[in-house]
Amino acid sequence: MRTLLNIDWQQILLHLFNFLILTLGLYLLLYKPVRDFMEKREQYYHDLDQQAKEKNRYAEELGLSYKERLSSVDVEIEEKRTIAAQESKQAAALYLQSVEKRATKIISDARKAAEKERAQILKDAQEDIVLMAIHATEKLLAQSDSESLDLFLDVATKGASK
Amino acid sequence: MNKKNRAVVIVWILVIVAVLVGIILTNKQQEKHETVKEMMRDAVLHEANHISFLGIKDINPGLVSAFVVTAGLLIVAVLIRIFFIPRLKRIPGKFQLFLEELVSFFHKFAKTNSPHSNRLLGAYIFGAGMYIFWGTIFELTGFQAISTKGHAITLPAPLSDINGAIALGSLSYLVILSGGLLKNGIKGLGSALKDFSMPVSMSFRLFGALLSGVLVTELVYYYIGLSFILPILVGVLFTLLHAVIQTYVLITLTASTYGEVTEPREKK
Repeated sequence: MRTLLNIDWQQILLHLFNFLILTLGLYLLLYKPVRDFMEKREQYYHDLDQQAKEKNRYAEELGLSYKERLSSVDVEIEEKRTIAAQESKQAAALYLQSVEKRATKIISDARKAAEKERAQILKDAQEDIVLMAIHATEKLLAQSDSESLDLFLDVATKGASK
Repeated sequence: MNKKNRAVVIVWILVIVAVLVGIILTNKQQEKHETVKEMMRDAVLHEANHISFLGIKDINPGLVSAFVVTAGLLIVAVLIRIFFIPRLKRIPGKFQLFLEELVSFFHKFAKTNSPHSNRLLGAYIFGAGMYIFWGTIFELTGFQAISTKGHAITLPAPLSDINGAIALGSLSYLVILSGGLLKNGIKGLGSALKDFSMPVSMSFRLFGALLSGVLVTELVYYYIGLSFILPILVGVLFTLLHAVIQTYVLITLTASTYGEVTEPREKK
């Protein structure tokens, strides 16, 4: 039986059946596995890229924090240096004050001792002079008469009592 | 020219002469059973030469070609799946690169033309593209089959059979319809139905394009005087060119229309 342009519905369905099997087969055997593999590989490199970016960001943050810390360390050092200078100045002043006190005390002690020693020396000298005078008088008395001696002794006793 | 080269040239000349003699002696028998008019009419309508399909039904040679192409492609796909795909590497070799480029081409094509929904489209245009391309290239292999009348006939491209072209054109339209329906519901379906002439235009475009190739090649081969050198240019180049062009045309039309009907509708 002749049909228009030899169109046969049964053969169209056979063609459809054949093509559907081919498309499904190619999808399952080639298209899907290759796509899956490519997606996995893309994901792998994407993850790798993300990790690298993450590490890079972390390193940058670390670098910045170190820079900040370094700049703050400079300030801190300067502050500590100033404080230390002030402290050492104060300590030196205190030390000088204590040294001055000690020196003053030593000088005043020395002066007192010297005064005391001088007074003692003077006292000893006076006693020595009196004794020498007495000895001298006794010698003179032994050599002269008793009248003049009594006179002299009166004068000497008066002088010593003054 | 040394002795060895001279001997090779002489052997080649003898082979060519022997082939020529064979062609001339057998040509009459080939030409006898149909005139060029009958042959070209049969290429269009497939009225005369049918092939018995498992003794159940007489079918057009194009359908047999379709079965052969499908079997061939599936066997190759199975072999690639078993022996090659499990060994895919992160840094691809030449064949892996070819395979990846092939799959990427269809995937990107689907994604570019239909950014909102492209999973089904990618799989469909991959299958259709492979079928049209290798089906057209199949014409070059010169596979022979015995017709119901007992003549040896060369199997044509599957889509030079109007039934094959109608099947593929209609299926493309069905894929577009289903894409529209799945993505946009009734509105998507309505949008796809507006292009109701598409299955007819797609089918006959494919049929006409593939048939023209068959007719030109048949004509060239029919006359003995044109059967030397010219078929290399006409047959091979013409077939390769329209294999690529028809593949591109069908997947472009399907993908762009699919992209249109699956585009999200703005709610008013």
